[in-house]
Amino acid sequence: MNALPFLIIVPLFGAFSMPLIKLISEKVRDIWAVIISAVTLGVAADVFYTIWKTNKIIVYTLGDTTPLGKGVGFPIRIVWEVDLLGALIAVTIAFVSLLAIIYSLEYMRHDTGLDKYYTLILILELGMLGIVITGDIFNFYVFLEIMSIASYALVAFRNDTWEGIEAGIKYMFVGSLASSFILLGIALLYGQYGTLTMAYLSQYITREPTFVSKVALAFILGGLLFKSGAVPVHMWLADAHPAAPSSISAMLSGLVIKAGGVYAIARILFSIYSISLNIRTLGWIIIFFACLTLIVGNAMAVIQTDMKRLFAFSSVGQIGYILLGIGIGLAAYGTDIGQIALAGAIYHTVNHAIMKALLFLVAGAVLHEVGTKNLNELSGLARRMPLTSFAFLVGAAAIIGMPPLNGFASKWLLYESSALYNPFLAAVAVVGTAFCTAAYIRVLFTFFGKESEKVKAAKDPGKAMIIPMIILILAIIIMGLLPWQINESIMIPTAKMLEESGKYVLAVLGG
Amino acid sequence: MENDMGLIVKTMARATIPLIGIFGAYVISHGHLTPGGGFQGGATVAGAGILFLVVFGLNEAKKRYDKNLYSALEGLGGLAFLGAAMLGLSIAFFYNILWRDKIAFAGQPGTLLSAGYLPIMNLAVGLKVFTGLVSAMMAIALFRRWKK
Repeated sequence: MNALPFLIIVPLFGAFSMPLIKLISEKVRDIWAVIISAVTLGVAADVFYTIWKTNKIIVYTLGDTTPLGKGVGFPIRIVWEVDLLGALIAVTIAFVSLLAIIYSLEYMRHDTGLDKYYTLILILELGMLGIVITGDIFNFYVFLEIMSIASYALVAFRNDTWEGIEAGIKYMFVGSLASSFILLGIALLYGQYGTLTMAYLSQYITREPTFVSKVALAFILGGLLFKSGAVPVHMWLADAHPAAPSSISAMLSGLVIKAGGVYAIARILFSIYSISLNIRTLGWIIIFFACLTLIVGNAMAVIQTDMKRLFAFSSVGQIGYILLGIGIGLAAYGTDIGQIALAGAIYHTVNHAIMKALLFLVAGAVLHEVGTKNLNELSGLARRMPLTSFAFLVGAAAIIGMPPLNGFASKWLLYESSALYNPFLAAVAVVGTAFCTAAYIRVLFTFFGKESEKVKAAKDPGKAMIIPMIILILAIIIMGLLPWQINESIMIPTAKMLEESGKYVLAVLGG
Repeated sequence: MENDMGLIVKTMARATIPLIGIFGAYVISHGHLTPGGGFQGGATVAGAGILFLVVFGLNEAKKRYDKNLYSALEGLGGLAFLGAAMLGLSIAFFYNILWRDKIAFAGQPGTLLSAGYLPIMNLAVGLKVFTGLVSAMMAIALFRRWKK
């Protein structure tokens, strides 16, 4: 039996049963959340392994055995279509979500209404998983909204301060605007072509690329750039990500802007539009936004005094690298350079999810123990919280791209491909990294500096908060020790599969 | 606390609340036959609850509202929907096995007992929407922070 539907069923079951489980006891509720997310990780790993092993796209039809209608040659049902990219991101999502939930066992212990918290966090996970497995563009929109609404509520979860509520409302306004752009784009596509199945849409657009389809692409791309926090429209991210509880910040920065932003951009550009447009122009549009994003995001990170805000701006910068990879992958479509860039972008997506999750968990531990995230007051933390500081050191070194850690390989691929494609882009990317380094060195000096009054009583947090951090450190180091093996065996096939939009179409419509 | 309304409004509400409830139940149970369905019907039934809250005031509503019960019922609605979708899992998620294999709710199309899992799903969604909206409305009424 196919494991794919359980990727949705399990978190949905967990979320719906949470109000009933809570009636038993609070302890059972916490364990239940961990079990559900662990099972989800198992399912995601199984789906990924199946696709990786067979190198075939999985197509799953909801409600019937075939997506095609009776007696007609086109798909009429909702399909789920997972290729390697979707499965890889799904594993990342399930992995980081599990760690965020374990972390919240201790981090959120003093809050009330936690059954709603766990329900929302599982719904958030479900929305992201849905986005990466769906093959139907309206189904994609539905999952995008599930994810977005859950994240609005989670950003404002700590409603005892106005910070969270303000950020939540701001996030909601911007997010709703972005969602309506996306919906408008989807509506235009539906009006023009009369289908919502991505594969069939792709075939249709290739056959007759009309003006309306380009307008629709502009709307969808605009909305998705909003959601991924690319630069002209990144203002919500710097408020929403620091204001959320840290376990949620880890998911928002590590996963939500990837699944609902970058992944969706890659899927729509490569699988639906790729061969029907002037791909070079499209690539350069993405590259333009990418350069802007990676300079502004990293530069803004340097001047922050709020630790979580610094990490949030750094996320904006890292999104720039991923967009750069996707842009070069489009502009140099079909060449080796494009493939390397795309592999680098995918690799960096996974790496950044792990690194940024670790950094936000560190920020949460500091906030939990010291009670402030203002860098001016955190001087000399390293002596009191050695494990946490070590975790920060690893995360920061990885995000800068230090060789023995995982960030090195993905950044190297991006530098290499951009230098081969256009040296100017490589220069921009390196300048971005210089800013990034400056920002993290600042935090590092704060941590290892002279001890201030505030941190005298601080100590490392308890087991439930330390263990997720240690797992993430191990993941960073292990991935860092095998960079090229991972690249050869996972990232390059994933990039290849994403580039072959013909196979994506044929998997649904049949040979 | 004086947050209820006058006698005329109360009398009218007593007469209309059951009717609104019945109409909502009709919309839910005929969801697979007529326009509307679980969500619309559930929202209508919740309208009856909200009318009660507005007319008789928060204190009266609080006596009749149990947070845990409503929250559990909401979860139950979701689980029933998921369960109905999983019935045909041996073939596909959301496969309408009740209708295609003539197990239950498999009458003549157009009659009440037809359409397989659809009536079950409509009932589940109706329950979820009703309890959810009433809970949301109660939360808004309870947690207002401005002037007491």
